[in-house]
Amino acid sequence: MLRRLTILIVALSVSLSWAPAAFAQGRDSSDSSEYLIKAGFIFNFAKFVEWPPATFAQPESPIVIGILGTDPFGTIIDQIVQDKKVNGRGIVVKRLKWGAEPKELKECKILFVGASERAHLDELVQTLRGLPILTVGETPGFAEHGGVIRLVLEDNRVRFEVNVEAARQAGLTISSRLLTLARIIQQTTVDTRKPG
Amino acid sequence: MILQNLSIKRKLTLITMLTSSLALVLFSASFLIYDLVSFRHLLSQDLMTQAEIIGYNSAGAMEFKDEPAATATLSALTAKEDIVTAVLYKPDGKIFTHYSRGNATLPGDLPSHLQERGYRFEGGYLDVFHDVTLNGEHLGTLFLRSDLRQWSQRAKRYASILIVFVLVSGLFAFFVSSKLQGFISRPILHLEDTMRMVSVNKNYGVRAVKSYGDEIGKLIDGFNTMLSEIQQRDTVLQSTNGELKTRTQELEEEIFHRKQTQEELLNAKHAAEEANRAKSTFLANMSHELRTPLNAIIGYSEMLEEETCDSGKVENVQDLKKIQAAGKHLLALINDVLDLSKIEAGKMGIHLETFEVSQVIDEMVTTLQPAAAKNANAIRVHLGDKLSVMRADITKVRQILFNLLSNACKFTDHGTITLSADQIRVEGKNWVQFQVNDTGIGISPKQRENLFQEFAQADASIARKYGGTGLGLAITHRFVQLMKGKISVESEAGHGATFTVQLPAQVVVETTESAAAEETSHTSATVPETKPDMETILVIDDDPSVRDLMSRFLTKLDFHVVVATNGEEGFRLAKKIRPLLITLDVVMPECDGWTVLSRLKNDSELAETPVIMVTVVDNEARGLDLGASNYLIKPVQRDRLAVLVEKHRGARTSTITEDNSAAVSYVADSKAGQVTVGTRASKSRRN
Repeated sequence: MLRRLTILIVALSVSLSWAPAAFAQGRDSSDSSEYLIKAGFIFNFAKFVEWPPATFAQPESPIVIGILGTDPFGTIIDQIVQDKKVNGRGIVVKRLKWGAEPKELKECKILFVGASERAHLDELVQTLRGLPILTVGETPGFAEHGGVIRLVLEDNRVRFEVNVEAARQAGLTISSRLLTLARIIQQTTVDTRKPG
Repeated sequence: MILQNLSIKRKLTLITMLTSSLALVLFSASFLIYDLVSFRHLLSQDLMTQAEIIGYNSAGAMEFKDEPAATATLSALTAKEDIVTAVLYKPDGKIFTHYSRGNATLPGDLPSHLQERGYRFEGGYLDVFHDVTLNGEHLGTLFLRSDLRQWSQRAKRYASILIVFVLVSGLFAFFVSSKLQGFISRPILHLEDTMRMVSVNKNYGVRAVKSYGDEIGKLIDGFNTMLSEIQQRDTVLQSTNGELKTRTQELEEEIFHRKQTQEELLNAKHAAEEANRAKSTFLANMSHELRTPLNAIIGYSEMLEEETCDSGKVENVQDLKKIQAAGKHLLALINDVLDLSKIEAGKMGIHLETFEVSQVIDEMVTTLQPAAAKNANAIRVHLGDKLSVMRADITKVRQILFNLLSNACKFTDHGTITLSADQIRVEGKNWVQFQVNDTGIGISPKQRENLFQEFAQADASIARKYGGTGLGLAITHRFVQLMKGKISVESEAGHGATFTVQLPAQVVVETTESAAAEETSHTSATVPETKPDMETILVIDDDPSVRDLMSRFLTKLDFHVVVATNGEEGFRLAKKIRPLLITLDVVMPECDGWTVLSRLKNDSELAETPVIMVTVVDNEARGLDLGASNYLIKPVQRDRLAVLVEKHRGARTSTITEDNSAAVSYVADSKAGQVTVGTRASKSRRN
C-alpha cells in the first residue's frame, strides 16, 4: 500500500511539470483573473496545512491571512474568504507594512509577501524564523530563499513551488496531497546567499 | 443393475472410493465456495480501499482543478489489472477525468448516473462509488469498476487444483482400498473357492481356513461345521450303502439257494406224490384183491355154518365160526387200513344226511351185542330228552360209535358199558354228545398221550392179549375232526374210562360235491311209491361167488332173487322183470356199474327203482350222485344189507311197517348171557 502510494505520488509529481493547463480562467490572463485564482490558491492552502495547536489561542481563533507590501488582490481575496471556514475557523485578511507592526506580522498564519518586499526578503525570513507562519510569495527565488510557497504562472496556468525544509523549520505540516501538486524546492540557494 | 453383479472385491473398492471421493468433493466444493465468497468480499474491500486511496490522492487535484494531476493519479491504476474503468465526477455529476484500461476511450456502459456510495456486483463487474472529500467538504465522486478477473482466475485455479487433488486422492484411495478390501474379500473368496471345490469334487474333506475372528470368520466356522456334519453323514451313508450292497448280495445268494432248495423240494414233492399215488393205487388194488377172496371165505363159512347147524353137525359149527371170526377180523383190519390211508390222503369225503340219533344208537347197540356178550358185559343206553335228529355223515357216526363201543367191550370184562347221548348247547350252537363209559382196565395218563395216534395201542402187550389193529381210536379221532367235533377221554387205570364225543347237531361241510350228494340221497330217501314187482331183487355182478352168496342170503329174507352176470344183461332183465330193487357191482367187464346206473336212472320206467351199489370200489359220492339209493362196500355186512332191503320192502308195502322194521334189528346170540337193548328187546330173525 505504502509502496503503491509512493509510486502514485512520484508519478503525480513528475506529471505536474509538464501537464497542460486546465483552468479556463487562466487562459485569457488578465491580472484580475490571475489573482482571483491565486487568492483561491491561498485560501486552499489553508486546508492542506496544519499549524501547531499551540499557535491558536482558542479553537475558534481565526486564521489570519496577512498581505505584506503590495496588494495585488484588491477585494477579491476578501470576497473569497468571506463566510468561509477551515476546520471550524474563520478567516481574516489583514494588510501589513514592512517594519510597521512586527507584532501583527508575527500573528499571521499565512503571510503573502508582495513583490515590493523582494529587497528585504532575507531579513524577513530571518525575522519569521521558527514562527509557524506559511509564507507565500510570487517573486522568483522566493522559495529558494527561505519562503515556503511560491506561486508561479506557467503557460497561463497558476502553479506553485514548496520549500519543504522551510515549512519544516516553521513547524508547519503540509499535506502530501498538496505536495503532490507542487514543485519541491531545495533550500541550498538560501544558504549561499546567507553569508552576506 | 450391473453394480449388483460385480465381484465383492470391486464392490468394496468402489464403495470405498465413492465414499472418500464424495466426501472429498463435498469438502472441496464447500471450501471453494467459502473461499470464493470470502475472496469476493476481500475483493470488494480491496476495491473500496483502492477507491479511498485514489479519492484521497485526487482530492488535491480536484480542489485545485488540476486535471492532469487527477488523470495522473488515475493512471496509477494501470498497476491494477482488474480495474477496467475509473471515473472522477465533479459534484455536479459531470466527468472531471477518467481512466480506461488499454485505451483512452471511455466505455459506453458506464452507470448513467451517480449511485449510492459503496460497492455492488453487477453484470460480472464490481462497481464502487466513493465520495472525494476534503475536510468534510464534498469535492466529487470516484467510480471504480473491476472486471473480477482476479476472482475468476482464482476460481479457475482453485477448481483445477481441486480437480487434480480429487483425482490424485481418488487414485490414492483406489490403491489403498484395493489393498485393504482384501481383509474382507479374501476370506469370502476363499470361502467361495472352497464351496466350489466341495460342490464340484464332492469332496467333503476340504475345510475353509479361518483368517480373522470377525463375522466372516464365524461364517467360515459355521461352514466348516456344516461340512464336517455332511462328511460324517456321507461316511455313514457310504458305509450303510456298502452294507446294503453286501446284504443285497447275501440276500440274492440266499434267494438263489432257496430257489434251488425249492426246486429240489418240488421235485421231492412230485416224487412223493408219485409214490403216494402209486401207494394209493396199490392199496386200492390190494383192497379189491383182498376183499374178493374174503367175500367168499366169510360168505361161504356163514352159509356152511347155517347148513351145518341145520344138519345137526354141531361139532363143526365152532370151527366154522372161528373161520368166520378170523375172516371178519381180517376184513376189519383191511377196512381200517384203507380208511386211514384215505384220511391221510385227504380223500375221505363227508356225506351229510339228516337222521334220527336214537335209531343209529339202536342199530349200533344191536350190532355190538355179540361183542359185549363175549366178555359178559352188559350194555346200557341212556338217551337224553332233547335228543332228536342230527345232520351228519351217518356212516361215520356209526363207525365212531362202533369203535368206541367195541373198544369198551374189548377192554372190559364182566362189566357194564354205558352209552349216553343227548343234545347240549355250547357257545350258542347245538351239539350232540355221545359218552361211552366202561368199567374196564382204564387208561393210565402216560398211555393217554398216544391214545389217538395211529398204530399206537396203549401197551404193546395189549395187542397180543386183546387183538386189534390199534387204528380204531385214531380213525375215530379223525372222523370227529372231519365233522368239526371234539373227542376227549377221562380215565384212571383200573377204574374204567369215559370217552366223550361232541358233534355239531348240524355238521356243515363247504364242498359242493357233498352237498349235491346229500341232495340226491335226500331224494332217494324219499322214494315215492311206485308199481312194485313184488319181492323180486335183481343182483348184477360178474363175480359168481357174490351172485351166489347174495341170492342165498336174500332168498333167506323171503325175496325172489334174479341174477345178471354183466351190465347189459342186468339192464335188460331190469326192464323185463321190474324188480323191487337192484344191487349193482361197479367193476365189471364191458359195461361197468356206473354206466348201468346212469342208464337205469335215465330210463323213464326204471328211474324210480332203488339201486344199492355193492362193490369194492370206494366211491360212495359218485354212486349217490348218479342216483344210487345206498352204497355198500364188499365184503357186504349182511345185517346192514338186510336192514336196507327190508327198508325198501317196508316202504313199498304199507301193511308191514312196524313189525318188519323191528324184525330187521340184529340181536346177538343170547348164549353169551343176558342182553338188553335200549328199552326194547327184539327177537332174532336169523332163521
